[in-house]
Amino acid sequence: MLSYLLLSGISTGAIYALVALGIVLVYKATGTINFAHGDQLMIAGFLAWTLHVGLGLPYLVAMAGAVAGGFVLGALAERIGFRAVLRGNLVNVVLATLGLAFVLKGVARLTWGGISDYLAFPPLVPPDPIIIGDIILLPQQLVVTAGALAVMGAFALFFRFTTMGKAMQATADNPKAARLVGIRVENIHMLAFAVGSAVAGAGAALMAPVTLLYPDIGFMLFIKGFAAAVLGGLTSLPGALLGGLAIGVVEALAGGYIDSSAIEVSAFVAIMATLILRPRGLLGGPPPRRA
Amino acid sequence: MSARPETLLTRLMPRPIWVGLVAAALLAVLAPQANSYLLFVANQLCIYVILAVGLNLLVGYTGQLAFAHAALFGIGAYGTALLKVHFGLPFIVTLPAGALLATVVGLAISLPALRLTGLYLTLATLAFAQFTLWVFLHWEGVTFGAGGFRVPRPDWLLPGLSPDVGSFALALLLAIVMTLAAASLVRSNTGRAMIAVRDGEVAAEALGIDLLRTKATAFGLSAFYAGTAGGLQALMLGYVAPESFDLFHMALMKAMIVVGGMGSIVGSVIGAGAVLFLLEGLRAFKGAQEIAFGLLLMGAVIFFPRGVAGWLQALPGWAERYLRTAPPPAPEPDAVPEEAKP
Amino acid sequence: MPPAPRVAPPVNPHSAPAETEPMRRLSLLVSVAAAMLAAATLPARAQGAPGVTADSIRIGSFGPLTGPGYLYGRLVMNGVEAVFDRVNAQGGIHGRRLVLTREDDRCEPAAAIAATRKLIHQDQVFAIIGGGCSNAALAARGEIEQASVPTVIFAAVADGLTTPRAPTIVSTALTSGLEGVAQVAYAQQQGARRIAVVSMRDAWGRSRYTPLMEELKRRGITPVADEEVSPDANDATAQVLRLRQANADAVILLLYPKPGAVFLRDAAKFGYRPLVIGQSGIADPAAFEEQVGVPGATARFVTISQVRFTPESPEMAGWREAIQAKYPSDRLSVFNMFGIGSAQVLVEALRQAGPNPTREALMQALNGVTNLGTDTYGGPITCTPTDGRCNRTVVWIQKEPGGPIRIVGTTAVE
Repeated sequence: MLSYLLLSGISTGAIYALVALGIVLVYKATGTINFAHGDQLMIAGFLAWTLHVGLGLPYLVAMAGAVAGGFVLGALAERIGFRAVLRGNLVNVVLATLGLAFVLKGVARLTWGGISDYLAFPPLVPPDPIIIGDIILLPQQLVVTAGALAVMGAFALFFRFTTMGKAMQATADNPKAARLVGIRVENIHMLAFAVGSAVAGAGAALMAPVTLLYPDIGFMLFIKGFAAAVLGGLTSLPGALLGGLAIGVVEALAGGYIDSSAIEVSAFVAIMATLILRPRGLLGGPPPRRA
Repeated sequence: MSARPETLLTRLMPRPIWVGLVAAALLAVLAPQANSYLLFVANQLCIYVILAVGLNLLVGYTGQLAFAHAALFGIGAYGTALLKVHFGLPFIVTLPAGALLATVVGLAISLPALRLTGLYLTLATLAFAQFTLWVFLHWEGVTFGAGGFRVPRPDWLLPGLSPDVGSFALALLLAIVMTLAAASLVRSNTGRAMIAVRDGEVAAEALGIDLLRTKATAFGLSAFYAGTAGGLQALMLGYVAPESFDLFHMALMKAMIVVGGMGSIVGSVIGAGAVLFLLEGLRAFKGAQEIAFGLLLMGAVIFFPRGVAGWLQALPGWAERYLRTAPPPAPEPDAVPEEAKP
Repeated sequence: MPPAPRVAPPVNPHSAPAETEPMRRLSLLVSVAAAMLAAATLPARAQGAPGVTADSIRIGSFGPLTGPGYLYGRLVMNGVEAVFDRVNAQGGIHGRRLVLTREDDRCEPAAAIAATRKLIHQDQVFAIIGGGCSNAALAARGEIEQASVPTVIFAAVADGLTTPRAPTIVSTALTSGLEGVAQVAYAQQQGARRIAVVSMRDAWGRSRYTPLMEELKRRGITPVADEEVSPDANDATAQVLRLRQANADAVILLLYPKPGAVFLRDAAKFGYRPLVIGQSGIADPAAFEEQVGVPGATARFVTISQVRFTPESPEMAGWREAIQAKYPSDRLSVFNMFGIGSAQVLVEALRQAGPNPTREALMQALNGVTNLGTDTYGGPITCTPTDGRCNRTVVWIQKEPGGPIRIVGTTAVE
């Protein structure tokens, strides 16, 4: 029983981690949280659905489309909306991104909401369960977990080895100094929102067969992703992964050993407890300076 | 405050206050004669004003980005209505009891909040709000679960008035009193301490301000306002169900104070009115309300980051000293975060 | 308090010029108030029924247009509108066009009260067809009763809307109590010995869970397991393991399609295949099979439909085209079909109310609807003055994996 629960917790947690990675990315560069992150993910997911199911294009093309769509959506949102408020106070940024979340939900409802209640997304791997001894796995859940690890790995390399990654890091550490050495902080911010949203796009294409697609999927995922990000300390990519997995596992164990009605609330109780004991999350340090 | 003799009257009754009182008087006279839809909207307006003023005390004046206001609103509503339903107590008892219950809970969440700042506080209070909703849904023996429950309408509330008009009159009265109280509070020592905490905790502490006590006061007061509003909402609707207190409503309340102006009592009142006007006015959009609401929210923040109160600043007698306008001071120059490297 | 800190230096607020400016805001307030007064004193149409003019009848609708519940509001209203369009194209009702006024309730009690009050007092509608979410509609019930407006509930399923009987409210939606009775009867008929319940505990789930538990108790059945799955759940391993441990041979599934699909997927993962009995929230087994996504997982799944066709049936061709023509990005869905059936009942009653309709005459006609066939509902619709639950036909449907959807039985619940 324990092994089943742990395994299912990890596969749900991987979904949360995929969401959290994008949130952390934006936070690292801008010092704010994008409350529309989940809804950008949702839009990218519907985009992938339209390309793959609607137009019959191959899965990888649809995924690339979701990533590109997410990238453009994030860049546009930063350029049109958030740039003006990023230097203001935190509440205004939160409200601006929340406003965008409502807009995206409304657009999705009008565009895709009349097709069916929950859109199914065909899995890219054979759907039959894999049984290895005592362990039972659904292949698509493995794909999601692998995807989360791959995204994290890619960003670790990006921050370590590319100029752009180093510039982002520098901006996050000290925007004033970054400006002094010639980094264009606005561009870095735009890039962060765009890349964060592109990660959401990749995540959407990976998880859609497991989560299905509907206009309200975004906010629920955002809350869990935000929780995972904060639990991991907000600035740490491995922290986001860890936070996501921790929430998934806590939920599964609560469901297995307490009661199925405790699943939803267990994550929130765990967060409150963690923050009381460790006010900056599990792997968190001091906050980045804001420009 | 240097009070010149000729400004004594304006000090006691500054312009925003008498304009507000005139508006309230008009509302008091007109709303009971209007049809029951408009009366309902007027009643909702009073409740939103109380909510927005209370939230602004915490977020706009004390700078605590908490997300538990909708939950506290719900605790007030459930407390008021459940005491009535389970014990048959009169509303004159249950309404203050509900508000006090919310206050106690608000004080309790302020304890861990002392250690949490910014987004960490946001998430902790968000988690608390979700936890509260879960309790509303699952403590079925007490809260009647997801199906909600009916609350008997008081016909004795104010003799001679219909229940609708009676609850409106009470809501209006409380809205006026609580708004005036908040306006006077923010000019007091407590209010100044709250603003000092907002503008820099370290500096505030250096000035001898008790951080815990100030934050707890703000949380408690704000919760008291939310709880009172919740009780009034239960009275007005005659029906209480969990979905009235979810994160959508939290977003609505945040929108009120941002549109109106953070750190402004006048702004809170106008913001509450503006959001309600949008909610009811946007009905004309038939299905695109979400988009219109989202665009308005973004537009307000981007183009008018100081809210309506920012405009009013220019008017004589309307200037407010504590309006939050400038970006917050940069966090203390700590060591470079080493965990930033993956 | 510690000694009063001086934070901001005192500023003289009386430095700005332009003395007349505040009057602008005051005058705005006055004009708003005046508008309210004007609206309040609008003369209610003295002669004739409210909402009825020489060439039109205004019908109001409330339900979720936005928010997660929009399926039960906007899409159902689209179906109603399709029927109204067809009636209007054929000359209307006794020469009057039907006009639908929609109001959003976001699935919330407060918004539903505002919406119904607006429809009744501001828009002055003649009758109402609406109600998508149980709690919102329950809150609106008081307003409707107070104003005695004839109302047809089109999607909300809570029994409390019609029981105890509100004199002016009838429901063409299959109520949750009736479905619960049918679910238990079906399980017993299939020889189930160990029945388990898996439910959502939101307002929708609770409106089904409570009457179902009462019915089980009435029949002396104790469920072997009683588990919850949240509407947004992505995993149901814990629940499946418990059900398997309890050795349940039939599962009554009170879930939306998404958590329902997650549950069946995880059940299939463990090779656990009990008889699973759905309800009309999962009304399209073909779509559900795709949502579950694991081949064969739905082999022992049977569910209830309120309607006797699927959106793809040839019988629905006319309505399919009508919906697609009017709402190009939509496809005909079962939600549209609820609206179509419901509107047809209202239209028939309006016809019978005669060329000079009054609310009383319409109500009498609604209460007298007997064995009325519609294009979508599973069976004939019958309302009586003592029972407002007009739709009592449960259609059992099933889809063999890879095969077509079959109607496996029809039960008229007494």
